[in-house]
Order: sequence, then structure tokens, then C-alpha cells
Amino acid sequence: MTSSGKLDGKISQPDSGSKTLPESYGSTEAALLPRDPNWMFIYWEITGNSKAEVSRTHGHDVFEKSRQVIRVYDATGGQAGRYFDIPVMIDARNWYINVQESGRTYYCEVGLVLPDGRFICLVKTNTVNLPPGRVSDVTDEKWMTVSADFDKLLQLSGVEYIGKGSGEVAKSLAQRWEMLRSVFSRAASWGVSSLSSHALHKGGAGKNFWLVADCELILYGATEPDAAVTVSGRKVALNPDGTFSMRFALPDGNMDLPIKAVSCDGTDSREIEIKVTRTTRNDGK
Amino acid sequence: MENKEKGYLALVLHAHLPFIRHPEYDDFLEEDWYFEAMCETYIPLLDIYERLTGESADFRVPMSLTPPLCNMMSDELLRERFRRYYNQRLELAEKEVHRNRNTPFHDVSEMYLRKFRRIRELYEDYYHGNILEGFKKFQDMGKLEIITCGATHGFLPLEIRKEAVYAQVKIAADDYKLRFGRGPRGIWLAECAYNPGDEVYLKANGIRYFFLETHGIIYGSPRPRYGVYAPVYCPSGVAAFSRDMESAHQVWSAEMGYPGDTRYREFYRDLGYDLDYDYVKPYLHQDGVRRNVGMKYYKITGKVGLNAKAPYNPAEAREVAASHAGNFMFNRERQIEHLNGFLGRKPIVVSMYDAELYGHWWYEGPDFLEFLFKKLHYDQKTVKMITPSEYLERHPDNQVLQPSMSSWGDKGYNEVWLNASNDWMYRHLHKAVERMVDMANRFPNADGILKRALNQCGRELMLGMSSDWAFLMTVGTAKTYSTKRFIDHSNRFIGLYEQIMGNRIEEKYLADLEWRDNIFSHIDYKVFSTGAQERAAKAG
Repeated sequence: MTSSGKLDGKISQPDSGSKTLPESYGSTEAALLPRDPNWMFIYWEITGNSKAEVSRTHGHDVFEKSRQVIRVYDATGGQAGRYFDIPVMIDARNWYINVQESGRTYYCEVGLVLPDGRFICLVKTNTVNLPPGRVSDVTDEKWMTVSADFDKLLQLSGVEYIGKGSGEVAKSLAQRWEMLRSVFSRAASWGVSSLSSHALHKGGAGKNFWLVADCELILYGATEPDAAVTVSGRKVALNPDGTFSMRFALPDGNMDLPIKAVSCDGTDSREIEIKVTRTTRNDGK
Repeated sequence: MENKEKGYLALVLHAHLPFIRHPEYDDFLEEDWYFEAMCETYIPLLDIYERLTGESADFRVPMSLTPPLCNMMSDELLRERFRRYYNQRLELAEKEVHRNRNTPFHDVSEMYLRKFRRIRELYEDYYHGNILEGFKKFQDMGKLEIITCGATHGFLPLEIRKEAVYAQVKIAADDYKLRFGRGPRGIWLAECAYNPGDEVYLKANGIRYFFLETHGIIYGSPRPRYGVYAPVYCPSGVAAFSRDMESAHQVWSAEMGYPGDTRYREFYRDLGYDLDYDYVKPYLHQDGVRRNVGMKYYKITGKVGLNAKAPYNPAEAREVAASHAGNFMFNRERQIEHLNGFLGRKPIVVSMYDAELYGHWWYEGPDFLEFLFKKLHYDQKTVKMITPSEYLERHPDNQVLQPSMSSWGDKGYNEVWLNASNDWMYRHLHKAVERMVDMANRFPNADGILKRALNQCGRELMLGMSSDWAFLMTVGTAKTYSTKRFIDHSNRFIGLYEQIMGNRIEEKYLADLEWRDNIFSHIDYKVFSTGAQERAAKAG
């Protein structure tokens, strides 16, 4: 529809409330959200008190000498099984998490891995069920009849339906859906290219043992909410609390990321330059 | 009577706009979204339904009218402002007919005059300033099946607390009853976003069915025998209808879709920019900046610059719409014949569209629909238009499966509403939900000013939950406005919350918010209590 911001400046502000949201809510907590079959989003807040308590128990330098991680648990079937760690800075406050296996149940803990390998959990999230992202392997059919007011839910026997190419319809439609989706996207205009989550493909079919790996780069920071920030000369949109983050594909090679913030009156500026090098070696097997 | 049809077509229109109403300004830019949709989509749809009914041409349309839209349609202030809006256009159209005599733009200016006069007639004489009357009339006749939507089009898979999911559904169902005199039978989950298990809250509100994007069923488990061409029951008995991608593609696709035909009206060349400034100024906003006024005189023409477009020919465009309707019908007939043989059951093809596509984006879309409905009625017997309720009555036996999490957004899941441009919202939104639930649990029987404050907290929370804010941040249009709206509602919630918890509610502050954010006049904050949600989960 008509696009716009607000009416140009000259309107007075018969408005209530401030322009920014609280930076924190003063409680240690974390939440995990599903994004798609292979990605989740986690945010957390860990208060000064919580940190102080950990320091009291484990030593004042515990945060410096430990690895700060998100521990991602596969809790499919109701019990925590395998996990893996993602190194993070606890001050990052949020993260996108890539998981290899879709269709499973996950939860996370943000915490510290001590030099001796012990794990201290600072905060734990809710659990999330990720969608499978593919046609189901289950082909048993159940049928039901339901009356208009839900009074009757009558389970029907599946017998009379069995034996007519069960499941093939779903498979062929799925192929067609994938094809259409890839050539035509309903919201083609929005392309935050840095957010492309290139899916990982399993290694050659037929081999039992396989390994795939990739990595991305996340750059984040914070400044005054009204400052102007550029990364590699490109303007970056700040969140209302002055934080910003960008996610890049990280190909092999060198990457320079000069970051510059200019205060809103233009009188002050700060610069940080980050250089990243990636080298990937694959044994080719 | 013998059923000759080989299958069914459910053409679903999803009508929605976020709640945009700014009494604090005399004139507010984003309110135009609603006025434009009124003139180009909602009233033209009613116009079609009136004409088809007058000609006794039968039709069926399942159509959502979301609670924010229903609240805007019945709001006194917006009703008055819409009058001002169409009267201005009517005045301009009258002037234009004179100005364009003996020019290539005569026909198109006549068209606008005719259309705005018809809008006035329908709005004032038929529906007395409340077009919900019109929609209700066609629902009561059995032509429309109006379905509801989450109370503020909340994106349910990104809610953590089920109390919030329950509240979105319950407040919507109550609002629907108020307007249509009975409960809703179906619901459009905002953005077709489905989270497995949430349907128990639909069932607890008597809602029998909802809609899914294609892969919601295709990736369900066990495998769906009929793909998307029959509904399925979730284990709870709530039915899910899933989107046919072929018919969607035909209309939506940028390259192959009908709306791109060169003889259709060009959206981006508008009189607001073309006319002499002094002449058009009275029809612009008070700031005097040139913007779209909604009247456009050119056709798409081809891949040429905006200054090289040819004059629009309304009669020619209508003929194209008729031929596209014929093509669409032909394709559905062939599709349904094929599926009928292939599946061994009468298929239902569910075509789902944003209602605003028809008229606002695709100007001739309402003509297309009118031709399509007429042709389906008069010219063939293969395809029968149907509503989901009618379908379930005829075919109550369906496969049981657990649909997959899915949405109709780009890439099929939650990314449009959860990415680097908007992920910062969720910690604030979830915190507000948690606080709302705590307050509803803590004050089971509030009255007086406390009750008012709690109810207003519920309104602010609901308004903050609109999926529209996150969507607009992603696509980058109206990003400033959507960010401001989310922050405003969040801060208003926080302000009231602190006053309530500190036992120092300021009546003046509260009254000001009640005046600004007046959606859901009958809201009851107790809907957010854990007990209410748990009872619903048990009933479902």
C-alpha cells in the first residue's frame, strides 16, 4: 500500500511514551524459537546477580578462564540425549543456531565450560519442535469422521483405503511445490542477502560415513541508539536499543570489516576494524 | 438433484489490515491503507456479490475478515474519515471528467466518477456506513462463509506461552460473535502459520477448520493419501485445508501471473504526481507532499519507463479480465477432471489469496472474480464452488494426520517474521505476555479502575502482537511506522503494568490510552489467565 514513515516532521508530537524499549528486564532467562527445519533463534538475559553468584562459587575469574557456550541438546522423545556446543560471547544476548537434523526436539543452555571440562549452566530455554521439512516416512493411514459440533469423533478403519499407491501423491506434490517455491517467491522484494542460510547437503549417497561442515560470520555490536553506523561503508540499521548485528556468508579468503559509528550531531566518531581469514581444507574422500 | 460435478473449488480470500487509527492526528497517512482497500477491494467485492445475487448467479466464497479489520469497519471515527476520503475523490473525479473532455483520458476519468459514485451509493444507501452489514447479509444468504483470524493477526508459532495463543483465538471468536451473531466455523491462522497442537484452542472455541500452506499437509505425518486435494483431520478432529499451488501460481507469479498483462492498469503512475500541484493539492495530505491519490490513467503498456506508458482503456482491460477468468476456469476444469480420475475421489482445490490483491494491487481483480463466478455458474458443470463447511458436511470422512509447522511466507516457515531486522522484538513481546498472564492470575476478580487498566493492558499487548509489524520491518516498507507502533504498544503496556503493580493507576493516562487504542471494546483480561488456557486445552 502507500508506503511511508510518518508525515514529514511538521506535525507536533501528540504522542505518549518514550522511543526506546528497556535494555533488560532484570531477570535471568532465555527463550528458543523455531525458524525453519534447520535453524532456531535463541535470546537470553543473564543478570549481574546471576553472574556474581557464579563468580562466588567458581572463582572471580571464572568468566575469563572458561569457554562461553550455547549447549544445544537434542531432547527428542522427552530426554536430553546428544548435545553440541556453540562458542559465543555471553554479552551477545542472542544467536541463530543451525542444526543438522530437522524434525527433532531441541533446547539450549547458555553457560560456561570450565578448563577441566565441567559445564555450568547459567540459563536454560524452553524446548522447540522443529518441522521435518520433507515427506513423512510413515504411511499407515488412519481415518476419522467428525460431526459438525465435534460431538462425535469416530475413528474409522483404514482397511478399505489401503493398497492404492499410498503416499505417492504426497511425494509428487512435494517435488512440484519445491520447484515452484524455488522459482517464484511471494515476497521477492525482500532480500537481506546476508541472511542466506545455504542448506548443507549430505555427502554422497550410499556411503555410511560422512561429514559436512560450513561456517558463517556474525558481526555484532552496540552504540548510541541515534548514531549512524557503517560496516564496510554500508549503512547498518540499528535496533531501537542501539545494538546491531549482521550475518555474512564466509567464503575462503580474507575479509576486512571496517566498522564506523558517527554520533548523531556528527561531532564524534569511533572506528573498529575486524579482519577475518578463512581457509578450508577438505581431505577429498 | 444429481451431483454432476467432478470436484470442488474453494476460492479463499483473506482480508486483513493491521489496526491503524490515530485520533491524535486530524489526518494520518497510514490510515489511507484502509481507505484505499475500502475503495478498491472491500466495497468492489460487495458490489460483485450484489450484482451476482441480483442475477441469481450462485457463488461461494470463504472469506476472512480479521478482527482488526472488523474493528476498523465499525469504528465511528474511521467511518467519518472514510466519508471524507471518498468525497474528496468523488469531487476530483467530477473535475477530471470536465478537464479530460476530448482527450484520450476521457473514458478512464468517466470510469472513476462512476466507481466513486457507486462506492457512495453502496456505503451510504445499502450499508448505512457499516459495510459489515453487507458481508453479514451475504453470509446469512449462504454465499459467503466469513471466517475469523487471530485477534490481531498474531504469528502463533513464535509465541512461547500458550496463554497468548488461546487469547488470540478466544478474543477473535468473541469479537466475531458480536458482529455476526454466531460463532466462527473457520479461522485463517495469520500468515497461514501453524504450530502443531495449537488447533486445540480452535476446537475449544467451536472452530472446525483452518487453512495451511501446501507443505503443511504434504510434510504431515503419516503421508496424506490425497495430497492437498482433500482436507485432513488433526488428531483433535479439527480439519485443515491446504493450498493448491497451481492456481496460486497462476495468479501470484510475477512473470506468468495474470496481473502483469500489459493492458491492465499501471499501479505506479498516479494522478497525485501527474496533475498540476495547485490543482491536486486539496486532495493530498495536509503536509502537501505529492503522493498516490489512487487514481491512475495509464496501462502497464510493457517494459517501458513510467513516462512512456499508454492511456488506460477500461473496456479493453475488462475484456482481458474476462479472458483470464475463462483461462482460469478452463485450467481448474482440466485439473479437477485429472485429479478426479487420478485420486478416485472428488478433489477440492483450495485457492488462497490476499483479498487486497484483487482491486488494490491488481486493479481488474474484482472484474476477474465476477467473470469467473458467472462463468462457473453458467458455463460448466465440472467444478462446483464450495465453502469448507459445506465440504465437511458432504464428506465428513477424512484422513487423520499431524500437519507440519509451516507458513505461507517466503521459504515456507518463520523466517520472514524472525530475522535480523525484527528478532529484537521477541524478548519484549514475550515479557509482556508473561506479565499479562501473571496479572490475570493475580487479579481473578478486578473491578473499577483496576479492571479498566488490566483490559487496556490486554489491548496494548494484542496490538503489539500483530504479525504486520515484523513483516513490514522485513520487507522494509513502512519500517519506521511499524517499528514505532511496536515500541509504542510495548511501552504503553509497560507503563500500565508498572502503575498496576505499584498500585498507583493514573486515570488520565489510562483514559488517554483507551481513547487511542480502542480496539476490542468488550475485551476481558481474564482471557489471559492460565486457568482459562488450561481449561481450553482440556476441552480440545
